[in-house]
Amino acid sequence: MMNKRTPVQSVILYTLVLTLVIFCVFPFLQILSTSLKHPIDWGNPSLIPRVLHLDAYKELLGLMPTKEVDVPASVQRLLDNPALSTEKKQMLLAKFSSGSDVFPFGRYMLNTFVISFVTGICSTFLASLAAYAIARLRFPAQSLMANGVLFVYMVGGVLLMVPLYQMSVNVGLASSASGTILSLFLIYLIQTLPVAMYMLGNYFRSIPFSLEEAAMMDGCSRVEAFWRIILPLSKPMLFTVFIYCFVIAWNEYLFASVFLKQYQDFQTLPLALQTLFTSKNAIWDRIMAASMLTLLPVVICFMLANKHLSGGLTDGGVKG
Amino acid sequence: MSSVLVKNEARLGLKLVAPAVGIIGLLVIYPILFNVYLSFFDVQLNGNKTFVGLDNYLNLLGNPRYYHSIGVSVIYLIGTVVGTTVLGLAASILMNQEFRFRNIARGLILLPYFAPVISVVFGWQFIFDPVNGIYNHVVVDVLHLTDTRENLIGNPDSALFVVILFDIWKHFPIAYLLFLAKLQSVPKDLYEAAAIDGQNAWGRFWHVTLPELRFVIATVVLLRIIWNLNRFEDVYLLAPNVETLPIFTYYQAFAGIVDQGGAAAISVIQLLVLVGLIWLYVRKVLKW
Repeated sequence: MMNKRTPVQSVILYTLVLTLVIFCVFPFLQILSTSLKHPIDWGNPSLIPRVLHLDAYKELLGLMPTKEVDVPASVQRLLDNPALSTEKKQMLLAKFSSGSDVFPFGRYMLNTFVISFVTGICSTFLASLAAYAIARLRFPAQSLMANGVLFVYMVGGVLLMVPLYQMSVNVGLASSASGTILSLFLIYLIQTLPVAMYMLGNYFRSIPFSLEEAAMMDGCSRVEAFWRIILPLSKPMLFTVFIYCFVIAWNEYLFASVFLKQYQDFQTLPLALQTLFTSKNAIWDRIMAASMLTLLPVVICFMLANKHLSGGLTDGGVKG
Repeated sequence: MSSVLVKNEARLGLKLVAPAVGIIGLLVIYPILFNVYLSFFDVQLNGNKTFVGLDNYLNLLGNPRYYHSIGVSVIYLIGTVVGTTVLGLAASILMNQEFRFRNIARGLILLPYFAPVISVVFGWQFIFDPVNGIYNHVVVDVLHLTDTRENLIGNPDSALFVVILFDIWKHFPIAYLLFLAKLQSVPKDLYEAAAIDGQNAWGRFWHVTLPELRFVIATVVLLRIIWNLNRFEDVYLLAPNVETLPIFTYYQAFAGIVDQGGAAAISVIQLLVLVGLIWLYVRKVLKW
């Protein structure tokens, strides 16, 4: 253990590490590589594209110049007619420039970002209140609630999809777009609240009680001590929990598919990507570019939160 | 503390937990009970229901697809639980050694766990794509193991193994993190003592590492079973033809001939199993 490694041992060690790292990273390299390849290059097993092909990214990000519309000569004559109002002309043109080929990636990204962000904020806020109470205060049914959180946290979404869907139908939420989005937001809240409470509860317990005690001796109330001492001290952990919740919502597919199927404008990225993939064949470059763009914010988030996240995750033996 | 203070503290505590517990009660506890109720009805997507007694359960018990999906789930569970635990353990021992670039390597092997399922499944689908994929290139063109390019994900039987491999790839990092945290707290003199006793590396692993990790291993195994029993996205998005229990439930509830009552009945049975496992976890693991 402590003694120096022989060269052979070193070689074995580095080989194993390299194999493991390649196993982990290869699919990401594959995604990146395919997103940059021209369709004729897909069959090329090398990860390095023969020619750099950025069209997929340009298209998704709306940087492609709009294609010249093919308009039949007869219609062109109509369009040239000065008697026709511009409004009519545009309607005519719209008929020929079909929008069905365009994948509104930016829109889906915005949808996903908004619902994930709101979920993250609300969940972290509510969880910090509840976790503080469970970790620090004494009140009736406290241990029941502490254990209940753990239980709820393990009940997967699949077990709740039928009753939750039926509930939103019965209450009338499922019949309108705004009601559907509200339902989805509430569902994301309960999917993130238990884990957020669990992580924050563990963290609050690790803060010495003497800090609050000192604050309360200086005349702070309990609430003030929580607000002024505990929360500021927990900023890194709160940020980590926010990221974790954000990412759960960002990745969620099951309930999005159940609720948002008929509301195309409000779909989130996982649902939209899956639809794009199953509806059109052989558009690997666009699919991979979209995957890359979906992946990037998450990976960046986790890099920012990694330091605390690893600890927070292992303390709780967290979902995964 | 005086009784006024105790009362105030209790009141504040209840106030603080109320919003979170209220939402959880309304949207988790109530649905669980509502689900039991729904399982006795023929339920339409628009909310109409007719009472059918135990019919949903009887239909389910007479449905070969149900048993098939249980079988698929069992293979999936065994494969993924064993795979993630073993690979996680191996990775944690490897990453506990000192070597250059260790921090970079530690960061990189967490990537699969953090990445969104929806993005990485396309990478995996491309790898196994019959026309362009690297898998078929290696197996057919480089190693000449077979002559025909196969669509591993298109065929449910082989897709199950791709799904298991994918799950191991995606989730071994969390097992690795749990093991690594524990390994770092194993006192070094235990290894030194074992070395003095003449144990080689394997003996030290067997007599020191494994006993020290016993509880963490049990935790990982039980948690993996609990999570994977409900796992939906990772399977459905990679290979919708692999019918594990959650995917069978999803099809019953929302695809083809919709049978929401039947889906509710599956969920009730599955919940009972889950409660048993969670009870085991709370009793055996958390009390350790």
